[in-house]
Amino acid sequence: MAERTGPIVGVTGSSGFLGKALVAHLRGAGFEVVEYRRNVDDELNQGNVRYFDLSRAPDPEIFRGVTCLIHAAWDLRETDPLRAWGRNVEGSKRLLASAATAGIERIIFVSSMSAYFATKQDYGLMKLAIERSVLEANQIVVRPGLVYGGTPGGMAKTLSKLSSLPVIPIFRGSRLFTLHIDDFVAAVTTLVEAENVPSTVIGLANETPTPFREIMLALSQPASKSRMTLTVPWHLVLGLLRVLERMKVPLPVRSDSLLGLVRPAALVPGHDVAECLGLSFRNFAI
Amino acid sequence: MKVLIVGAGPAAAGVALALTANSDVTVQVLDIGGRLEPENDEARERMSKAVPEDWAVDDFRAISLTTVASKQHRIPEKRNFGSDFPFRNFGQLDGLRSEGGVNSRVISGAYGGFSNTWGAQAMVFSGATFDDWPFTRSDIETDYRAILRAIPYSGEVDDLAEYFPLWGSADPLPHLSEGPERVLNKYERNRLRVRRQGVILGKARLAFKGRDCVSCGLCMTGCPYSFVYSASQTFDDLVRRRRIAYTGGYVALRLGEDEGRPFVAARSLATGNTETFRADKVFVASGALGTTRLVAQSLGMWSRRIHMQESAQFLMPLLALKGIKDLTQEGTFTLNQFNVVVPFDEVGHDLVQIHGYPFNTAMTDALPAFLTLPVFRDLGAMLLRRLTVGLGYLPSWWSAGFDVSFERPGGEGQVAGATLLPSTGDDYLARQKLRAVTRRLVMVAPLLGLFPVVPQISLSAPGKSYHFGGSFPHSRTPKQSEQSDLVGRLHPWRNIHLADASVFPTVPATTFTLSIMANAHRIARSVLEDDRG
Repeated sequence: MAERTGPIVGVTGSSGFLGKALVAHLRGAGFEVVEYRRNVDDELNQGNVRYFDLSRAPDPEIFRGVTCLIHAAWDLRETDPLRAWGRNVEGSKRLLASAATAGIERIIFVSSMSAYFATKQDYGLMKLAIERSVLEANQIVVRPGLVYGGTPGGMAKTLSKLSSLPVIPIFRGSRLFTLHIDDFVAAVTTLVEAENVPSTVIGLANETPTPFREIMLALSQPASKSRMTLTVPWHLVLGLLRVLERMKVPLPVRSDSLLGLVRPAALVPGHDVAECLGLSFRNFAI
Repeated sequence: MKVLIVGAGPAAAGVALALTANSDVTVQVLDIGGRLEPENDEARERMSKAVPEDWAVDDFRAISLTTVASKQHRIPEKRNFGSDFPFRNFGQLDGLRSEGGVNSRVISGAYGGFSNTWGAQAMVFSGATFDDWPFTRSDIETDYRAILRAIPYSGEVDDLAEYFPLWGSADPLPHLSEGPERVLNKYERNRLRVRRQGVILGKARLAFKGRDCVSCGLCMTGCPYSFVYSASQTFDDLVRRRRIAYTGGYVALRLGEDEGRPFVAARSLATGNTETFRADKVFVASGALGTTRLVAQSLGMWSRRIHMQESAQFLMPLLALKGIKDLTQEGTFTLNQFNVVVPFDEVGHDLVQIHGYPFNTAMTDALPAFLTLPVFRDLGAMLLRRLTVGLGYLPSWWSAGFDVSFERPGGEGQVAGATLLPSTGDDYLARQKLRAVTRRLVMVAPLLGLFPVVPQISLSAPGKSYHFGGSFPHSRTPKQSEQSDLVGRLHPWRNIHLADASVFPTVPATTFTLSIMANAHRIARSVLEDDRG
């Protein structure tokens, strides 16, 4: 597709699940995209791939030419909550301050539906803290729901693995807001392009939550309603995961992530803004 | 254009700073102008020219009187350089009485107003606070920044910046006291666990020169070096630079307009005569209650009971398991050192703030009498080593506030009588929210090493927070003489502008003097811009 005049879009976390999909979509739509990655030479501060690591103060040069920044980077390697805070929250705040100083006009922070007031999840609390800084800078926050579709990544990938167990664990009452990856990239592209977007939190997800059981069955390979499910007491699983984590046992899912599944957000925020911008999110179906 | 400012407190300073940024405005400040006693001022002056080690003992004693127990209230009344002049009646408290325990020392006649004795906390309101206001925080940001450039300012970017941006260039705070330092270190270590309970901590933001502070510990009784901001510093500077004319010794009695040209009738404290001052514009900044009375007297509001919105104060003693080494206020600063923020929503609209004060000698004076007996003195000292005094604030929409009614003045040259009454609404909601705050602090106490002394937590009497206003709140469509427009005008006036907290639509729990100054600056700036078309 031909290059178009418009914002030059920087994307942090461009090698992650959401970042990669975004970069591909934006480039396909003709945008000039600058990828920020930590797995490249740290002196790389120009061109279409530049160095950025949440654990280090960004070189102001990396923002040269960029007019819109999508911050999707998250460092999952750090499991210690304190160090995870230092890397992800402080690192993001440094990035935001640096981007603001560099005069970047629009920043879109890719948060999570785990970030909601009174969340008990560390991940949600960290995302929420960054959200506050983004909003204080009059910028935009998006909270994607459980992203599915395409090659599974993120939480959907983890759930996909769990759904391949002989007996699929189900948590009573759990219902999640879902988002197809194509709707995600389309929504963020709209936010990049739209002239006036208020500084607010916009939930990116279908407004009808999907029962966890339905999600797990749909993700199971091959998808079959006849797979056996077992409702498990989440408190027990949570306790077990925490014990195993203390024993440094490698696990497919973290206790903190489990909290996100069993205590999800109650609603999708910013529905009115999403509607004004013409964002739409399909019903869950695989 | 000739402009008259009534009052010389923080709101008046905000107006003056905006007006004097323009050279074609002639500004006169009309004020009661109560001052510190000459002997105390001389002692302060001598101390300001010496290092603490060289201070004369008599000078130190003269100006370091801490607090005086209040007959009505649990929290004692502060002293400033050993004097009660910020609270004293210079004529402004004539005819003012209170019922039901409402604090009656609520109008200052001092040059600089209550900023002579404030806690110097300078924090921008959260953006969501303005959801209840007829303009946004962006509309007032330039004014906040102008004020923060004009006053001394110390603070740091920390977790509190998630709701309260630092804005402006701030000095770092001096070294914190041992207790607060320990609490903040524990918060760093347990940040996520504390935040999970809905509690956020950060360092204080203060209107003082942190870089120059010599840590003599006298902040609470008056900084001999004038490092703690008072509005009087702004006026001293503007007078020195001949940007304003200051006229002290007048109690304003009445406002009005003659065919659109405003005037202020005021009684001279020296002669007792009433004189009339005229200008093209008048800005009224006599403090929320002083201004309300002046308006009531001018517009004859004798039958109305006017509600004052107040951000209710509460006292929350907090005890640490581990005491500080030395029970002294020397070697540190004794202003508020850290803030606890307890948000009740995501956006920072409904939140409660608690200011943590380290040890200062006023706390010794406030100990229960039995702990001062020789047999219990060690116990008293042990408690003081562990004590942090938390002064907290609830937003006005959770607080009862208080009412005021006015009676016609007794005679010519007199101010209107005023009666402060408990609000007709009760404080059930305030108590309920205070319990919710306490619960959260109890949950995080082991993580912070700081335990609320629950039986000693108490709501202060109405008016005691000094964070009140909202008698004539700003509105885009003001109701006649009940609400002011966006530049503080009440019907029928066109050139008289109320500029203090009387025009606040709400009073959030965030410390509010900085916002009073910023809003006063916004009003004056907007008036000037309108005048120039």
